[in-house]
Amino acid sequence: MTRRPRLRKFVLTAHVVSSVGWLGAVAVFLALAVAGLTSQDAQVVRAVYLAMESTGWFVLVPLSLASLVTGLLQSLGTKWGLFRHYWVVVKLIINVVATIVLLLYMQTLSHLAGVASDTTLSSSDPSELRSPSPALHAGVALLLLLVAAVLSVYKPSGMTRYGWRKQQEQRVAAQD
Amino acid sequence: MADLPPDADSPGGTRDIGTAAGDRRPGTPRWVKVFGIIALAAVVLVVILLLAGGNHGPSRHSSSGDGAAQTPPSSVSRSEDAGHKPPAVGHQT
Repeated sequence: MTRRPRLRKFVLTAHVVSSVGWLGAVAVFLALAVAGLTSQDAQVVRAVYLAMESTGWFVLVPLSLASLVTGLLQSLGTKWGLFRHYWVVVKLIINVVATIVLLLYMQTLSHLAGVASDTTLSSSDPSELRSPSPALHAGVALLLLLVAAVLSVYKPSGMTRYGWRKQQEQRVAAQD
Repeated sequence: MADLPPDADSPGGTRDIGTAAGDRRPGTPRWVKVFGIIALAAVVLVVILLLAGGNHGPSRHSSSGDGAAQTPPSSVSRSEDAGHKPPAVGHQT
């Protein structure tokens, strides 16, 4: 299944933009998480957790889903395929795992934002709000997305068993 | 990619000739094995942390253990009420 060059480039552009945008958004999220963890100002800590929740729902989740969908379209619409090359498979696993963990983690973020917006919380003591969890999750996500970006650029060689079989079939078909 | 020139960035380009050509299937590349080992170690680590840490998820951040009260984006509920309103439903995705 191959597509016309114009459509292929459009999907490729959408995939690159959403993936790199996701990476950048996670980097910003990590900076916010560290600020929330280290700031001594209770108002700053509260604001950070509220900002992280909004960033999660309105930036991270849409970009992760866009990256996944455009990645699937891009691989299935070209001869790279989805399961023919190891680097594509590894990227797919990274994307799916990161998206699932993000969607699950949004529950925690919403909870933390709810606590941050709690006006009964002692406004001078941000310690009950501080959590290393967002920074930890963002750090791991950043690492995974960087690996995915490197794989996209370098495209290390290696064909899966399925990919090799398909190639052999095509070779035989071409000889007939 | 049929619509791309056969270069190093396309399957069947110069990079894959050395590994995929011939009748014998090439073995799994070393980098894939390394990735597999790292991934396996990470999964084991996460499982150990989850088992050792016990509670994982929103409720671990709540001293009263009411983490089941999940909220949609809190900005939504905050706009309805200057205070904070306990959410009646789960997430809006």
